Amino acid sequence: MEKEDYKSNYNTHVIRLVVILVVVGVGGYFAKAAFTPDTMGQYGHYRGSNVEEQKGREMRNMTNDSCFQCHKYIRRIHKNGVHKDVSCEVCHGAYADHVKDGKYIGKLPVKRGAEIKALCLRCHNKVIQARPRDSIKVVALPQHLEEKKVRTDHICDQCHMVHDPLLWVKQAREMMGMKEEK
Amino acid sequence: MQDIQEIKNEIAQDRRAFIKKVMGGAVAGSLLMVIPATATEIAEQIPGMRAEKTVFTKKRFAFIVDVTRCIGCGSCCVADRNEYDVPDGVYRTWVERYIIDDQDNVFVDSPNGGTDGYTEPRTDIPNPVRDTFFVPKLCNMCEKPSCVQVCPVGATYKTEDGFVLIDPKRCVGCGYCVQACPYSVRYFNKNHTADKCTWCYHRVRQGMLPACVNVCPVQARKFGDILDKSSEVYKILHEPHVISVLKPGMGNKPSLHYVGLRREVV
Repeated sequence: MEKEDYKSNYNTHVIRLVVILVVVGVGGYFAKAAFTPDTMGQYGHYRGSNVEEQKGREMRNMTNDSCFQCHKYIRRIHKNGVHKDVSCEVCHGAYADHVKDGKYIGKLPVKRGAEIKALCLRCHNKVIQARPRDSIKVVALPQHLEEKKVRTDHICDQCHMVHDPLLWVKQAREMMGMKEEK
Repeated sequence: MQDIQEIKNEIAQDRRAFIKKVMGGAVAGSLLMVIPATATEIAEQIPGMRAEKTVFTKKRFAFIVDVTRCIGCGSCCVADRNEYDVPDGVYRTWVERYIIDDQDNVFVDSPNGGTDGYTEPRTDIPNPVRDTFFVPKLCNMCEKPSCVQVCPVGATYKTEDGFVLIDPKRCVGCGYCVQACPYSVRYFNKNHTADKCTWCYHRVRQGMLPACVNVCPVQARKFGDILDKSSEVYKILHEPHVISVLKPGMGNKPSLHYVGLRREVV
């Protein structure tokens, strides 16, 4: 009977604890629902709608054939030359800066002089050691110019048509009746 | 009198015909200006891709880099910077130059990631050179990506078709993935969210090859469907070759394969 006396009817602390837990639980549930994106977990632990967003990103580079749709004259030269695998956009700039929705929007910078030389030497510079042998024609400057008996300040495109490097060389040989150099 | 009247009638008719022609021409001309000149669509480079309407593609892609072909021109890096807005000093793809001397010392450099090409030879190598080659690097698209595992917010994820992508809206920029990637392909973009090479997911899903593959002048980069037995990628992976992946010991199982890779790189 004595134990009964010690038992308290005071239980506010328990009610408080339960109320707090319920509030945190319910609040947390709604907060999570509010802050989680709709498509989260649709295919996995990520926002499912991001796949479509990634897919719909605008393409900035196109292919050589896109350029040739308008540049028909260059197409004839470029496609028949040894540079047919060289991309237009690497030298000229991205398609998206030039054409949008089939309309002309801006001029791509024209490369001249030293810039052309730098572009040529990206691939054709012999002094860069790591080039695989027999892949492409490589030359060392100024030895190449000395060999051909021209001034050493010549720029590549004074002899080589950049879209088909051997075009003018072949034409000149035909005109002069020269034979292939050994 | 009657003759003159007939002639006048004829002229009147002719004028009507003339005006009709002019009007027709004007309408046609203005239509040409409205209809885009590139109305003909560019042929798709990945056969059957545009016809797919599912969220994920049924194809399984692999990327192969042929080290024995790469000439280190940096066209891939240029195309990549054309395609994406990449801050200076970080690279989605880059080209490394390896030089190995006869004492087996390895010298590696990559000025500006190879974006400007290689303009100068290495002059600081004391011994005769035994082997030199270029190694292009990009995202390995691991089967078990460490970056996805560490992301605390589910911003970086692997799709069912095998691409590892980053949701820029979810990314909080904590940088765990940048540290976790064993191949160091991740960086922070201008919005301070993690970014990396996606094998040009948007291009691939629109039927085009990745920008770097498209521009490579010596076909050192190859991209294709390994489920398609007629594809070049399938043939390379099923023929005897020196073929390997980077850091196989990490257990990430990359989908990026290298042909002719030297042991010094792995």
